[in-house]
Amino acid sequence: MDLDVSRLANWMESLSKGPEDLAEIFLEHRRAATLEWRDGEVVTGRAACENGLSARCRTRDADHLVFVSDASEAGAREAIRSLQIRMGRPALPRKPDRPKPQSESEPPLDVDRWTRKLTSIFSRLAPRHRFRWTLSDVTRQVVPVRGAPSSSTRRLLSLEGTFTAASRRGDEIRAFSFHAPGSETTADELRAALARAGEPRETPASLPDGQADVVLAGGCAAVFFHEILSHALEAGQESPFSGLEQARVAVPELDVRDDATRLDLFGGYEQDDEGVRPRPVKLLDAGRLAGLLTDRAHAPRGVSNGHGRRAGPSDLPMPRGSNIVVAPGHATEDELARRVSSGIWIADLDGGSVELASGQFRVRFPRARRVRRGRLADECGPGWLAGEILPALKSIEAAVGREVYSYRALGFCARSGQVVPVQGAAPAILVRRLAIRSLQRSLGSVPALESGA
Amino acid sequence: MRAESALEELSRRAPKQWELYQKVGESHELIASGGQRRSAWRRETGQAARWWEDGGMRFACGSSAEDLTRAISSAQSIRVSPSPTPQWPQSRTIGVRSAAAADPPSDFFDELARQLSAESRGEAQLAELTLRRGSAVERIENGCGLAVAQAVESFDGVALAIGRRGSRSCEARAVFRWEGEPDIAAVARRLADRAVLPLSERSTPLARGECLLDPSVAAALLAAIAPLFTADRGPRWLSRPHFGSERVTIADDAGADAPFDGEGTPTRRVILVQSGEAVSSLRDLSSAVRSRDRSTGHGVRPSYRLPPRVSPRRLFFETTEGAPPRDLLASVRRGLFASALTAPARVDIEQDHFELEFTGIAIVAGRAQSPVSGARARGRLSQLLRRIGAVATDRQFFPMPYPTGAPTLLIERADFD
Repeated sequence: MDLDVSRLANWMESLSKGPEDLAEIFLEHRRAATLEWRDGEVVTGRAACENGLSARCRTRDADHLVFVSDASEAGAREAIRSLQIRMGRPALPRKPDRPKPQSESEPPLDVDRWTRKLTSIFSRLAPRHRFRWTLSDVTRQVVPVRGAPSSSTRRLLSLEGTFTAASRRGDEIRAFSFHAPGSETTADELRAALARAGEPRETPASLPDGQADVVLAGGCAAVFFHEILSHALEAGQESPFSGLEQARVAVPELDVRDDATRLDLFGGYEQDDEGVRPRPVKLLDAGRLAGLLTDRAHAPRGVSNGHGRRAGPSDLPMPRGSNIVVAPGHATEDELARRVSSGIWIADLDGGSVELASGQFRVRFPRARRVRRGRLADECGPGWLAGEILPALKSIEAAVGREVYSYRALGFCARSGQVVPVQGAAPAILVRRLAIRSLQRSLGSVPALESGA
Repeated sequence: MRAESALEELSRRAPKQWELYQKVGESHELIASGGQRRSAWRRETGQAARWWEDGGMRFACGSSAEDLTRAISSAQSIRVSPSPTPQWPQSRTIGVRSAAAADPPSDFFDELARQLSAESRGEAQLAELTLRRGSAVERIENGCGLAVAQAVESFDGVALAIGRRGSRSCEARAVFRWEGEPDIAAVARRLADRAVLPLSERSTPLARGECLLDPSVAAALLAAIAPLFTADRGPRWLSRPHFGSERVTIADDAGADAPFDGEGTPTRRVILVQSGEAVSSLRDLSSAVRSRDRSTGHGVRPSYRLPPRVSPRRLFFETTEGAPPRDLLASVRRGLFASALTAPARVDIEQDHFELEFTGIAIVAGRAQSPVSGARARGRLSQLLRRIGAVATDRQFFPMPYPTGAPTLLIERADFD
């Protein structure tokens, strides 16, 4: 994607009439390899190499985008020209196609090394499985009509599927998902996560519908906060928080932020999809509503906090969350269990949704453990936790766990058809009186690979 | 659009055992909300190759011929276990009908907002309307001489409304697909029901009774059980002669949409369930090899980025012997009308279980009584299918994402909570 960015910016001049108009070119180069595994063998190998480019112009009351599958200078010219025609602006003259310069060769994706590593991990920890593993390298570049261009690259790995694990009453099929940015420690982390997921367990009992005090442990509170805070604080939409700026909605011990700068988490990035460097945004500061996630179109005075995201170059950006991070408290997990006395201990949430108009949310757990007299007891589940955003926030206890865990099972979030990487890290929290609805056991074992509004 | 280098590469790597798919598509999208309008025009090209090399299946895709060649080179280095090669189709079309350039969709926001407001007596407001109109040309070639091309068109969208009554509010979403003139009134009616009925504070007054499924609910149920028609083997509980009640006939026929599937196999009508008896199933090239059968033309590509997989293409309940929907309503003694789902239909094919969460209306002696904000019907899938007591004539198609057609269905007995 070696383009003459100043030339592109010049071509876009006519699109941006006033200082409040936004105009930009967005380019993406994506390489990915996907392997499907069945019981130790790779049964399908897929590779993708894609380039896309879009030109976008936003005025006060309209937003226009033109996308072409060509991230070259010719593609940029075509996209800008089409956009100019659509908006009734003077258009660039047509130019004959020139032969494309030979693109440089890229370093390989490292699939072979990963295949060997995964083969070894699976054969030891989960020999019977059906997994889909994806490794992707995505380079994104934003060229705004005014301001500096930006470029960033992310390498992401995902493993999703099911495996057969031993339980005390025989084999059972368990869902597993793991999403992490590529790094030296990713394989070790994956190995540990798969070993934990495969530990022998009791057969879970069904849950009665009703209300219960719930501890969300093992980092899975990130899913809960992603649904009730992150989505509700994405700028530009009505939510139960509308008109409650700075209001205290939870205990002062609770600090939650959205932190796209955490590149060790799956949802992190160096620049958002409008070329803005992100900054951590406090969503709850000592229990008070503290900020909104904004893109350039929804930011006060046009100063975005770097949360304009798109699923790909063919999509318009919108404000989205990235990594939800909850600050640690001082409680130990034993203390939390004692405080619950009688309730449910959940260490895994595998999906969720929120309806912002009514503020109702639901998150799904594949299994849980009952807490009886302050001790972890028998296994139960699967089921849904449900409630309304504001009462649920009010019901969070001041005792917040002292250990923060990255929740690698959370990897993607869908909103309005756009799927973007997200993740989070959270300590254990205790929420009083959440509604519980049981789910047929087999219906709860289906992995939900995305969570979203 | 030709990918000569990719073709050469494929012929060299996997003589006769390759397939090349190319697509050029154009679409217009309009997203309207209040005074805001967002529009997108997309011109997408994509190419995909599938081939059997050293016995193993590989797949590569790219946004241009050059990208595809690179992807082929990456995919060939992956070590893949052997799998049987398919029996490739060999059709050849003469000439190619190019797709008409798609026009941008008209802005129906104000009209839908007005009709929604009228249908809901002012309790529901349209928040956002997304309309998409597109056309594409697909070309498929393979190493056995197949060379076909086809043009496909689509016009679909999604509408979001908010229902409000006092301090209560509810979000409603309706996904629709128009094949002829836009049917705004039907979308307004569905949205009004979804946005307003849950605002009632009444839960289900019945623990058991008859259940009348709106076409949108019945279509969601049909889409949820579709894996029964594509699986290599049916689940243990499935008795093929007694799949459903005698009134159930289910077919798949995408002949009106496209002459070929995503693998170049000609489209044909397949009767899946005939008067309650499961008589056939759907096959793509890979599943046909496994079942030692021929493809039925159901190799579907959700996108050029994914290899074809077996899936319904236009699945529907036959309604030639149906009754008018008002007769079905009149026949209900005590039950619920499931007007709209409030959560995706959940079905466990292996364990013979289903759950439907819906909002609707209580019915007594054939008359609508009171709204029901939320109810859940659950039980055994096999029983549900056998308890379909009547099929109406008001079939409608919904994107699930493939067109799925269902009329109002009467379930003779269901358990509610």
